[in-house]
Amino acid sequence: MLSGAQIVLWCLEAEGVDLVFGYPGGAIMPLYDALDSSGVRHILTRHEQGAVFSAEGYARVTGKVGVAIATSGPGATNLVTGIADAKMDSVPLVCITGQVRSPLIGSDAFQETDVFGMTLSLTKWSRMVRTLDEIQAVIAEGFHWARSGRPGPVVIDIPTDILKAKKKFSGPVEFRPHATPWNAKADGGFTDTIVAMLQQAKRPVALVGAGAKLSGAIPHLRQLLDELNIPTFATLHGLGAVPPASPYYLGMVGMHGTRAANMALHDTDLLLVFGARLDDRVTGEPTRFAPHAKIVHFEIDPGQLDRVRPCDLPVIGNLAETIPTFQRELQRPSLPQWNEWRAVACARERTQDDPRGLAQPTIRFLDELFKRLPQNSVVIADVGQHQMWAAQRCRSSSPRGFITSGGLGAMGFALPAAVGAQLAQPESCVLCLSGDGGFQMNIQELATVHRLGLPIKMVIIDNKHLGMVRQWQQLFYQRNYAETDLSDNPDFVEIAKAYKIHAWRLNEAAMLEQPVAAETGEAIDSFLRSPQAELLVFDCHPEANVYPMVPAGAALSEMMFADE
Amino acid sequence: MQTFQIRYRNTQGTLMRILNAAVRRGIELQSVQAGIADQDHRVTLLLQVTQKQARQLYREWYSVADVTDVGYGAVQHGHGDDGNVWSSVHPPAPEALTELSAYTSLTPR
Repeated sequence: MLSGAQIVLWCLEAEGVDLVFGYPGGAIMPLYDALDSSGVRHILTRHEQGAVFSAEGYARVTGKVGVAIATSGPGATNLVTGIADAKMDSVPLVCITGQVRSPLIGSDAFQETDVFGMTLSLTKWSRMVRTLDEIQAVIAEGFHWARSGRPGPVVIDIPTDILKAKKKFSGPVEFRPHATPWNAKADGGFTDTIVAMLQQAKRPVALVGAGAKLSGAIPHLRQLLDELNIPTFATLHGLGAVPPASPYYLGMVGMHGTRAANMALHDTDLLLVFGARLDDRVTGEPTRFAPHAKIVHFEIDPGQLDRVRPCDLPVIGNLAETIPTFQRELQRPSLPQWNEWRAVACARERTQDDPRGLAQPTIRFLDELFKRLPQNSVVIADVGQHQMWAAQRCRSSSPRGFITSGGLGAMGFALPAAVGAQLAQPESCVLCLSGDGGFQMNIQELATVHRLGLPIKMVIIDNKHLGMVRQWQQLFYQRNYAETDLSDNPDFVEIAKAYKIHAWRLNEAAMLEQPVAAETGEAIDSFLRSPQAELLVFDCHPEANVYPMVPAGAALSEMMFADE
Repeated sequence: MQTFQIRYRNTQGTLMRILNAAVRRGIELQSVQAGIADQDHRVTLLLQVTQKQARQLYREWYSVADVTDVGYGAVQHGHGDDGNVWSSVHPPAPEALTELSAYTSLTPR
């Protein structure tokens, strides 16, 4: 006889789960009581949001399903931001929440919330378990939906009496999905159409998003792009899909994208999109997005098509199937060379970084940091100015080497996500970049870092402001700096010391001389190679801004640059 | 007004996900009729939507785990079985290039 809690843990192991993140409480106590007898390792975070972001960090670097556990009521509500984040960024995530006893459901019992209803629009799939006999099937189906198709979050809510009840256990079950009403069959029927469009195109480009990475299509995509040899750029989540050294690669596109990428996207007459949602941060003003282009959209989720602008040719299906099919059939016809167009799109005056931006001490600091990173490092950025600077300067060629909360833009993501990433890749250097605002949103996870002895390298870009909001206030709200001043920040070095984590401070003056002083470089090197957790606080000028920038309502070609 | 018919397996929350796809866009639910249809369930919705919203809804409904079929037609009265319900198994083609065989890659199971 096994309890419902023991069956849950059995089923998790059957799904390949060896690590979960969570925080105990009343309704979920039976599950915690059973942990000792299972092979599942539980990581205690110091807040449920820390647990769900850690599970996301684990999932994002491994591609496996991340699991977060919380109790009912406030435990469940504290998961919600992470669930929304996983939905926006297509992260496979299963959240297991305790619920009040079945007879009390709907009575507004102590710590009762309708987590099922509350997360309906944020989850890909969810269930409240109603009987002990359902547990196996629900967990099997939940994991199927979390990892299948476009990955996403799943919530499984289990009343505490069901976790306690016992039954004879027959072993985990396998979920057999129903047939879907449509199915992408990569028979190549679409390739003739794309080839015809390519043959007519004068200025084709390729845009790569996260879907290319999630589908495992990267090797085929890289071969395809090498064959096409057309100007190519990536979304924030597409970074690392294309080796930055590729001669046709123009960097990140969008609101803070490169001049070359944004101009090429504005000028193109044929846009090939590989696994990107084309959200507003990528398109700029939708009515002026790629105004001359026909759009071919490779996408696994039909729900993502036409959100901002209708595409001309949707290719719906798993990119791991559709891209190889396209690549295979592409070899037959001869395509134009597009030499003239490539020369324009990749011209030095477009690809050259703005020297005013490069002179910024924070940019110099990030360049120093990134060039000294060991191989196979994982960079995790929080949300704000530092996130965009990092996206612009980090030149990782690893598909899972740059991680951030892109769609939701959830401040406080980086530190707990770094916990999950470091546990997933104990041998890698995990670099956690935060602003001073975001770091304080989950600062309690320093305790988790210390308890687990994780050698995470944490950097706070401290401008003593909510920098990105301040930048918008400066540029678009007549410098009315309403409630963005954080000049009374605590001393982060002292806080880290209280958590028994070594910390030090680097002033931006150290970056004014180029090249940087040898001792500064050595300090950064030893920071990155330290066997223990380290916190580095970099003092950043409060009025440093992120450029280029496409203002809200502008076309991608209407970028702002420093001092304009 | 547009009539939409969505067939679905009546699992927890599926009808709510279908309705929420409209509600989250600020679209009022003019009429909702849900019930058993053959071995599945079917909900018929009467909505005031733009073409763009119709396309988005159509595709978002297809992304819901237990939705099995979606159809729509520009029916303003007696919304339901006698309408000009689109029976294609594919998401609607965009207007710009309907002549292109964009869906040749898609085959129903």
